[in-house]
Amino acid sequence: MNPADLKYTAEHEWVRVVGDHLRVGITDYAQESLGDIVFVTLPVVGTEVTAGQSFGEVESTKSVSDLFAPLAGTITARNEALDANPELVNGDPYGEGWMVELAPAAGVAAALADVQLLDASAYEALTRS
Amino acid sequence: MSDLQKSPLHDRHVALGAKMADFGGWEMPIEYPGGGVLKEHTAVREAVGVFDVSHLGKGVVRGPGALEFVNARLTNDLRRIGVGQAQYTLCCDRETGGVIDDLIAYVRSEDEVFLIPNAANTSAVVGLLAADAPDDIEVEDLHTRFAVIAVQGPRSPDLVAALGLPTDHDYMSFTRAASGSGGDLTVCRTGYTGELGYELLPAWEDAGAVWDELLAKGVALGVLPCGLGARDTLRTEMGYPLHGQDLSLEITPVQAKSGWAVGWDKPAFWGRDALVKERADGPARSLWGLESQDRGIPRSHMQVLKDDQVVGEVTSGTFSPTRRVGIGLALLNRGTAEGDVVTVDVRGRSSVMKVVKPPFVPSHVR
Repeated sequence: MNPADLKYTAEHEWVRVVGDHLRVGITDYAQESLGDIVFVTLPVVGTEVTAGQSFGEVESTKSVSDLFAPLAGTITARNEALDANPELVNGDPYGEGWMVELAPAAGVAAALADVQLLDASAYEALTRS
Repeated sequence: MSDLQKSPLHDRHVALGAKMADFGGWEMPIEYPGGGVLKEHTAVREAVGVFDVSHLGKGVVRGPGALEFVNARLTNDLRRIGVGQAQYTLCCDRETGGVIDDLIAYVRSEDEVFLIPNAANTSAVVGLLAADAPDDIEVEDLHTRFAVIAVQGPRSPDLVAALGLPTDHDYMSFTRAASGSGGDLTVCRTGYTGELGYELLPAWEDAGAVWDELLAKGVALGVLPCGLGARDTLRTEMGYPLHGQDLSLEITPVQAKSGWAVGWDKPAFWGRDALVKERADGPARSLWGLESQDRGIPRSHMQVLKDDQVVGEVTSGTFSPTRRVGIGLALLNRGTAEGDVVTVDVRGRSSVMKVVKPPFVPSHVR
């Protein structure tokens, strides 16, 4: 199940508000589709990203998938644990398997008001269609 | 996926929740929940895994002199083996020597040879042999007459023995036996994983009982049902070619370094003239292993460069679960040597890779 307190993108990522940052990861549907994840490539802290920009990659035994910035901002943290333990993404995609945190220039509230993110039920409908 | 053919174990895979995909026109399991490619791969390297590979073709050539008939067409020399033994061989294009299929030939007698080609190429192989056969030699497509269940890994003898089946025959040999649950079946010491293992060929309708018994009796041995995803990582670690990627109509056995599966001294086999010439001239390109020196994973069709010049193309590539690095097979231009450092264009980034001779992990087939 996709947690109800998160927002989602059509690119199968989730966004969680953590204080004045947004934490980003990939959904359970995404990890399930990819299969066993073996490498996660993330941007370094301080990288500025624009909405929709590819800022990283998630690679499994059989395929590779781009990570897209759900909105514009500066990367403030990356999940260093994924370097040694990429399988965290498969095991706990909404928790320990998070990818990055970013700070929108305009602040979290303004940034979220400015983009169209899906709620859990809309995202679920998307993955079922 | 309704147009796809289905294995006799299809309902069981669906019940287990397997991820299914099209494989040569067959809807087959790629991986199972609770497993996944990495765990399934490890089960085969360290314990035992069972694979449904019933999509593989089956055919028989029978009639007086069937062995000689096959031997004058497929590349390898059946005179190198005896009755009850199997051999990896190739069906090549008569003119170009390109590979129509790679297959295993099982010698039942001078007058009967059983064949296991790839799923998608079965009708081509059977058709070519049938078209060339004299009246007294019959070539029959038995694709849905037998299932194929591969039991692979260091604990595979224990599991096969637990079914009351013989296990002590030599690598690349086979024997008929009666199983408790599934009637008569053939037990072959063959496989595509590089581990000690067996391929069981029960009748199509007996496959379910054999599969159920393998999974039930394998629990204590650490058995996992394994999908074709793990089969691909396992065979890539061994450097075994996959038809359609590392072997094809455009890739000859000389290029693919499969010359060991060619009976060069035989007076005749399909593609002989072209292959003998290419072998004498030296092939323009050869199949090598690539071992990533960073986090890049080579994938099919990626370009390989040396000193900024394209020197070839990746034909197969994956993450090696055993070595924890990207590995692959690539056709590289003449002049490439073992130990060369090349770069692979991985989605616009240069990944550094070393040219190596497979296998990437030691073989344990014997």
